[in-house]
Amino acid sequence: MSTVIVVKSTGGNPGKKPDSEKYKTLLNEGLRLLTEDKNPSGCLARLFPGGRVGMKTNCLAGRLNSTTPTLVDALSELLKESGIEENNIIVWERSNRELSSAGYKLNASSFGRRILGTDSNGVGYSRAFYSSDGVNSLISRILTDMIDYNINLPVLKDHSIAGLSGGLKNMYGAVHNPNKYHDNNCDPYAANISNLEPIRKKNRLTIIDAIMVQYNGGPGFDSRYMAYYGGILISEDPVAVDRVGLEILEYFRRINSLPPLEKVGRSVKYLKTAALLKLGMDKLDKIKIKVIDVGREGKSRPGSLL
Amino acid sequence: MERRLFLKCMGCTTCVTAASQTGLLPDILGGIQNAAAFDYTKKLSNVEARYYKKLKDGGIECELCPRHCMVTDLERGYCGVRENQKDKYITLVYGLPCSLNIDPIEKKPLFHFHPGTTAFSLATAGCNSNCKFCQNWEISQVRPEQTDNIDLSPAAVVDVCTSRKVPTIAYTYSEPIVFYEYMYDTTVLGHKNDIKSVMITGGYIEEKPLADLLVHLDAVKVDLKAIRENYYRDIVNAELKPVLDGLVQTRKSGVWLEIVYLVVPTLNDTESEFKELARWIKANLGTDVPLHFSRFHPQYLLKNLPPTPISTLETAWNICRAEGLEYVYIGNVRGHPAESTYCPSCGKKVIDRNGYRIRQYNLKGNRCKYCDNEIPGRF
Repeated sequence: MSTVIVVKSTGGNPGKKPDSEKYKTLLNEGLRLLTEDKNPSGCLARLFPGGRVGMKTNCLAGRLNSTTPTLVDALSELLKESGIEENNIIVWERSNRELSSAGYKLNASSFGRRILGTDSNGVGYSRAFYSSDGVNSLISRILTDMIDYNINLPVLKDHSIAGLSGGLKNMYGAVHNPNKYHDNNCDPYAANISNLEPIRKKNRLTIIDAIMVQYNGGPGFDSRYMAYYGGILISEDPVAVDRVGLEILEYFRRINSLPPLEKVGRSVKYLKTAALLKLGMDKLDKIKIKVIDVGREGKSRPGSLL
Repeated sequence: MERRLFLKCMGCTTCVTAASQTGLLPDILGGIQNAAAFDYTKKLSNVEARYYKKLKDGGIECELCPRHCMVTDLERGYCGVRENQKDKYITLVYGLPCSLNIDPIEKKPLFHFHPGTTAFSLATAGCNSNCKFCQNWEISQVRPEQTDNIDLSPAAVVDVCTSRKVPTIAYTYSEPIVFYEYMYDTTVLGHKNDIKSVMITGGYIEEKPLADLLVHLDAVKVDLKAIRENYYRDIVNAELKPVLDGLVQTRKSGVWLEIVYLVVPTLNDTESEFKELARWIKANLGTDVPLHFSRFHPQYLLKNLPPTPISTLETAWNICRAEGLEYVYIGNVRGHPAESTYCPSCGKKVIDRNGYRIRQYNLKGNRCKYCDNEIPGRF
């Protein structure tokens, strides 16, 4: 049984992204529920016992539909409070250009939190290939050499080929040749990329930003198909969290009179493949979904997924 | 401008391959006598691609190669160098080669095309297949952001050729089909300046773009990777049939054609395959198309196989000769007698080669100097 925490912000301004403080509250509540530890710093200290922690963002779609810096700032604060040295926090993406376009200020120095793309000077990709059934790739040296743990920070999006762009799909940004892995709705590739040894070993936590959901027209930004959900999804199981994200995405498609992904040839087959690789659970009846609503005043109460 | 690149001039033997992130940045400062200066750039190009259509519900369908990638906003095709930007398909590598060199034409290999001359050879990042044995994977299997690219417009390419008296431009190393627009425009400009163009390709391209390009090409060398579809599926990640169709199309166009078949131990090296290959070439292209059997060396994702035994190459050579092919060669085996060209009529050696060097040249125009038999090609 896997657990996915869904923390929803209520009473705010729908359509507006939370500020860093609000994200911090959502993260605190979610992490407490996930680890059943009252102290959120303790939760993170247990998940990341020292060392260097990476945050893999998804910045493909610029400021309008990428992992927001306010969420990253909030999580960075919590990591620091849990004892991680600031310079040992690395916010990363495939390229500096993508990070900048999503509103991040680059910092590759030895001071402060680092924010850098794999294309930064002296970074690049691993010398060795990593392989898993049809996937043969070099992996960002940020992941292989520069961090001990990774937090996967995607946004919840439709994807024109894969169907769903969540945590597993976000790891395409960690390999040197992502364009080679889009056939057959990204199956089995999305699963096998996350099964590459360094990724499987270091990905400890997935936090999907589902404040706004691009339920069609992704992975870029398309305002016609953007809905407010107001939540974040947190799990140690990279498959289960995507599976729950898929429920939310399909819900918005349904209420907006769009056919299910399967009917438009974009069945998210790679989740089953990921489950077969024992990366996590893809069946809803094997996933414990805990939903809480967090009001404006910061109080939480049980909520519903949809 | 990031920095200045000094390219060693004519006669250099090391390919300038700019791929710093994969650790392959060469000694680019060597040999600056008579050097030309080129500029590295981090910028990608923003030139509209040809051969694509917009889809009704957003996105585009690329019609350049048989893969027909459906690409939505901000995504790229399989090649990694063509990107959808707001439903406009963009080539990111126009005028941005990452690899340059002046090579002997024999290195392509083209053995019946102006032997002994040189070709200004260039490539950008990207490829529309993914051969597990690729010897240039550091540039072909990466995106253009991962290579160090040189700002070199078609006009600048032609300038290099005219100033250094290089008669031919070769689009090579990676897969020129993926930088089609750059190649096309350079061939056109080259011809206006009496510079020839040759394409060294895997041949995985749609009929229309190939037809349009052939008008401006002088020679094509196709890597026919195998004669079996399953090899293309498992080892190349492409399809055989479009490549065969392209070979026939090229032959019919009158553009000079040569074929390379890389013999990979245990994967495409049976006698029945060599026989099938020879028969297909004979039936569809004719007996006078040069066929090069090339020796495999462990590379990229096929490091678990040994180099091709020379005896296997010789078996292939013998079978194809027995099937009636007139110009069969063995490549990547320096000093082998089958590097040379023999007149099918009198059997004498008309071009004596050692590696990329020509030791003796016994042709008068395009005829054997011993028996006056016509040797096909462009001489």
